[in-house]
Amino acid sequence: MAAQAIPELSTAASEPPVDWDAVAARARGVRRAKAVVLYAFLIAVSLPIILPYFWLVTIAFSARTGVAETAVLWRSMAVVVPAVVAFWLTAALAQSRRQLWIGLTAVAAIAIFAFAVLVGPDLHLGNFIFLWEPDFASVVRSRIGEVKGAVQFPNVWHAFGNSILIAGTQTAIVVTVASLAAYYLSRFQFPGRSSMLRSLLVLHAFPVLTLIVPMFLMLYWIGLLDTLSGVILVLVAFELPFAIFIMKGFFDAVPWDIEMSALTDGASRRQAFVSVVLPQVRNGILAIAVFTFIRGWEEYIFVFTFLIRNSNWTMSLYMYWVRDDVMGVDYGVVSAVGVFYLVPSLILYMAAQRYLMQMSIGGVKG
Amino acid sequence: MTTIADELTIERRGHAGSAARRRTNFVIFLGPAIVLTILFFVVPVIIDIAVSFTDLSRSLRISEFTTEQYEKVLRTDRRLSQVIGLTFIYVFGTLAIFNVTFGLILAITTTAIRNVSGSFFRGVWLLPRMSPSVLYILLWLWAVSPTEAGLVNQVLMQAFGLDAPLDLLTSAPVALIIISNGFIGASMGMIIFTAAIRGIPEHLFHAAAVDGAGTFAKIRFITLPALRWPISFVTIYQTLSLLVSFEYILLLTKGGPFYDTTVYALYVYRRAFESGQYGYGAALALFLIVIGVVVALIGWRFFDMERLLQRPRIEVH
Repeated sequence: MAAQAIPELSTAASEPPVDWDAVAARARGVRRAKAVVLYAFLIAVSLPIILPYFWLVTIAFSARTGVAETAVLWRSMAVVVPAVVAFWLTAALAQSRRQLWIGLTAVAAIAIFAFAVLVGPDLHLGNFIFLWEPDFASVVRSRIGEVKGAVQFPNVWHAFGNSILIAGTQTAIVVTVASLAAYYLSRFQFPGRSSMLRSLLVLHAFPVLTLIVPMFLMLYWIGLLDTLSGVILVLVAFELPFAIFIMKGFFDAVPWDIEMSALTDGASRRQAFVSVVLPQVRNGILAIAVFTFIRGWEEYIFVFTFLIRNSNWTMSLYMYWVRDDVMGVDYGVVSAVGVFYLVPSLILYMAAQRYLMQMSIGGVKG
Repeated sequence: MTTIADELTIERRGHAGSAARRRTNFVIFLGPAIVLTILFFVVPVIIDIAVSFTDLSRSLRISEFTTEQYEKVLRTDRRLSQVIGLTFIYVFGTLAIFNVTFGLILAITTTAIRNVSGSFFRGVWLLPRMSPSVLYILLWLWAVSPTEAGLVNQVLMQAFGLDAPLDLLTSAPVALIIISNGFIGASMGMIIFTAAIRGIPEHLFHAAAVDGAGTFAKIRFITLPALRWPISFVTIYQTLSLLVSFEYILLLTKGGPFYDTTVYALYVYRRAFESGQYGYGAALALFLIVIGVVVALIGWRFFDMERLLQRPRIEVH
C-alpha cells in the first residue's frame, strides 16, 4: 500500500511550490481510510462465522436449565469484542516493542478481570455430564420433563474409541500403502506406468459419494455391512488416490543422487527406500497421516449409511443422535458434546496447518 | 556425484537383473494399492451398472433383469426435472456467489491488509471447513431455529425490531443450502487465490501505481489476469464437488421441505436408502458417475502432465 503515495507525488512534482508534508499527510490519510474500509468489511463478513462458534462454547460452559441463556452470550461478547478491538489498536498504535507488550498485558488483564466478574459466576462443567455418567440420557431427559427417548445411547467413550479406531487404522493403512505405491510410481519404470498415472489422476478427482449405493450393496453381500472393518476398508480405498498423489509429489522432490549413492554403496532398491528415501519424505507422511486421520474422525455420510448398531457408533453419529433425540432441546448438553467433538479436529488442523497448506497447494499444482 | 557413465552402468546392471525380483517389487510396492482400487472403485462401478438393470428393492433380492429403471429415469419420473433444475440453481448459485466471487474477494482483501490480520481472517473463514459436518450443520440449525432463541431471530428481533420469529428452513430453504455450502466453499477459493496473489511480482503493482492506476485498475489489469488459471481450476473442481456432494443438505434440511432442496445427488441417496429403490438409485447414480469421470478428464488439462509422467532415472530393481 506504500505505493499509493507515488502517483500523488508525480502529479504534484509538475508544480514548483509543493507542500510536501500536506501531500504526504493526504496520502497517509487515504491509505488509512482504505485500511479502515477493508477491516470493517472483513469484520462484518467474519462475524456471522465467529458468532455461532462463540455461542456454542458459551452455552456449553454456562447453560444451566437447558435453555440457551443468551444473556451470558451477549455479556461475554461485551467483554470479548472490546478486548479484541483494544488488542488491535494497541498493536497498531504501539511505537516500540516494549510499549506493545505493556499495552497487550494491560488489555489482557482488564479483559480477564471483566470476564471473571461478568461471566465467571455463570461458568460450570455440568453440561459435560455425558463424559462421566453412562446413563446421562435419562438424567437429561428427566430434567426437561421427558421420560423416554427413542434412542439408546452407548457410553461416549465407546463412540470416542470407535472414532479413534476407524481414523487410526485408516491412517496406518493409507500411509503404508500410499507410500509404497507412490515410491514405485515415482522411481520405477514399468510397462503401463503412464496409463496408471493417468488413471490415478482421474481417481484423484473421482466423486466417491456417487458410489455409495453399489458400495452399500457390496458390503451387504459380503457381510461387512454394519461392521467397523467394512467402513475402514471403504474409507481407506477412497483416501488412497489422493494420498498416493501427494506422496508421489514428495518422492519426486527427493534428489536422485541420494538414492544413487546408496545403490552405489551396495544397497538394494528396497533397502534404499526404507533407510534413505523414506526419512526424506517425513513431511509428506506426516501431512497425509494427519489429513487421513481428520477425515476419518469427521466422516459422517458413510458411517451413517453403513453402520447401524449403536455399539458401532462413531463420534459423528453420537453427536447427530444427541441432537436428534428429545434431549436435543437441551442446548447445554448438545453444545458440550459439540465442543468435545470439535476440539480434537481443531487441534489437529492447527498442529498440521503448515503441512496441510503445503499439501493443498502441492495438490493443485500436480 | 552421479555422472552419465554411472547411470549407464547402473542401468545396464538393472537390465541384467532378474525378472523375478522385478515382479516381487511390483507386487510389494503396487500390489496393495491396485487391489484396493479395483475392489472399491472398479467393482462398485460394475455392480452399479449391473444393479441398474435389475428391480432390486428393499428386500435386497433380485427377481428379474429389466430396463424399467432407465425408462423411469428418461420418461416416467416427473419429479426428476424439478430435481435437475434445482441442482443447476444450487451448483451455479453457490459457485458464482461464494466459491469463486466471494473466495476472490476474501483473497484480495486479506492480502491487502497486514499479514497477521490477513491470516487471522483467513483462519476464521477456514473454521467451517475444519469443523466436522455434523457440528457445522448443528450450528446452522441453531442459528436459523424458528424460535425466538435462534441466533438470526435474536439479532433480527432485537436489533432490527422484527415482530415474529422467522422460520427460514421452510421459507427460504434453497438460499440456506446455498449459503451454508458457500461458507465452506469460499475458503478453498480463498486459499488458492491467496497463494496465486502472493506469487504476483510486487514490482508490477508499483509500475501500475506509477502509471496512475487506482486500486480497482490494479485488480482488473494485474490481479485478475494472473488468477485466470486458478479461477478455472476452482470452477471445475468445485462444480464437480458441488454436483456430487449432499452431506450438508442431508443434515440441514433432509432434502425438504418435501423435495424442495433435494439436489440430484441427494435424490439418488433418498431413492435408494429412503424408498429402498436400489435399482433405480443405481441407474440414477450411473449418470452422475459418467458426469464425474468426464469432468475429471477435463480437469486433466489443468494438471502438469509432462512433469507427472517424467520417466524415472534409475533402472535398478
